[in-house]
Amino acid sequence: MQRRDFFKKLGTVAAIAAVATPTFSFAAEAKPTGPNAMSFKTAVDAITGGKAPKTSTLIKLKVPEIAENGAVVPVTVNVDSPMTADDYVKAIHILSGKNSNARCIDVNLTPANGKAMFSTRIKLGGTQEVTALVEMSNGQFLIASQSVKVTIGGCG
Amino acid sequence: MAEKRKSLIKIKPKKYKDGEIVKVSFMVMHPMDTGMGKDKKTKKIIPAKYINSVKFNYNGKEITNMTVWESLSVNPVFTTYMKINGKGTLSVTYTDNTGEVNEKSKKIKPKG
Repeated sequence: MQRRDFFKKLGTVAAIAAVATPTFSFAAEAKPTGPNAMSFKTAVDAITGGKAPKTSTLIKLKVPEIAENGAVVPVTVNVDSPMTADDYVKAIHILSGKNSNARCIDVNLTPANGKAMFSTRIKLGGTQEVTALVEMSNGQFLIASQSVKVTIGGCG
Repeated sequence: MAEKRKSLIKIKPKKYKDGEIVKVSFMVMHPMDTGMGKDKKTKKIIPAKYINSVKFNYNGKEITNMTVWESLSVNPVFTTYMKINGKGTLSVTYTDNTGEVNEKSKKIKPKG
């Protein structure tokens, strides 16, 4: 074999290896699903019980538009409500659009909270929408969502 | 096997009066493994270990209860508001999907 041929072959091998390995490893990573995988739609249906949630301006969802690290994404949900015994926010659900399990947290509030606000930090696997689903004491469901651009995925 | 976990309850503002609405944050050191991540050295899947539920109790009355799923970040923080209603204790109980139960409490002393 000539030196020229040898380098040609070496180049093709390297190219194949470069193309093949990332796709292979990606396929291997995507395999394991979480213990309770749930898509966004089934999660919303499970919470609302078939009722259609209404988009509302009462909810103030505070999420960064660009998250540098998907492992720690701060989320704050503020709901404009008097929080009296007759009219209060019953529950706040934080959902993610594309995570293996769409449900992040369900918070059941009572009038003793005084203010309808909840804040936490969630993990996001990639660029997706974060949704806040709020249940009012009169049985109404309100929804608000915002898309988050994730530079580095946080799951796994 | 209950592991000792570091946790903290923070109340803002530090000095509060009776009837005031204060911000309460609860932080806990917890791995929150989703059951999907791999150990980089052994290449084995780390089994799921995440907080299942968190309950805020104030003087024996439940204020907030949360159902938590695995997609909360490592060492989670739970922040909400609370209305101060006399002296007492605020206790936070949290359970794990592996059956670990822990509790943290803080005394509430309103001034004025």
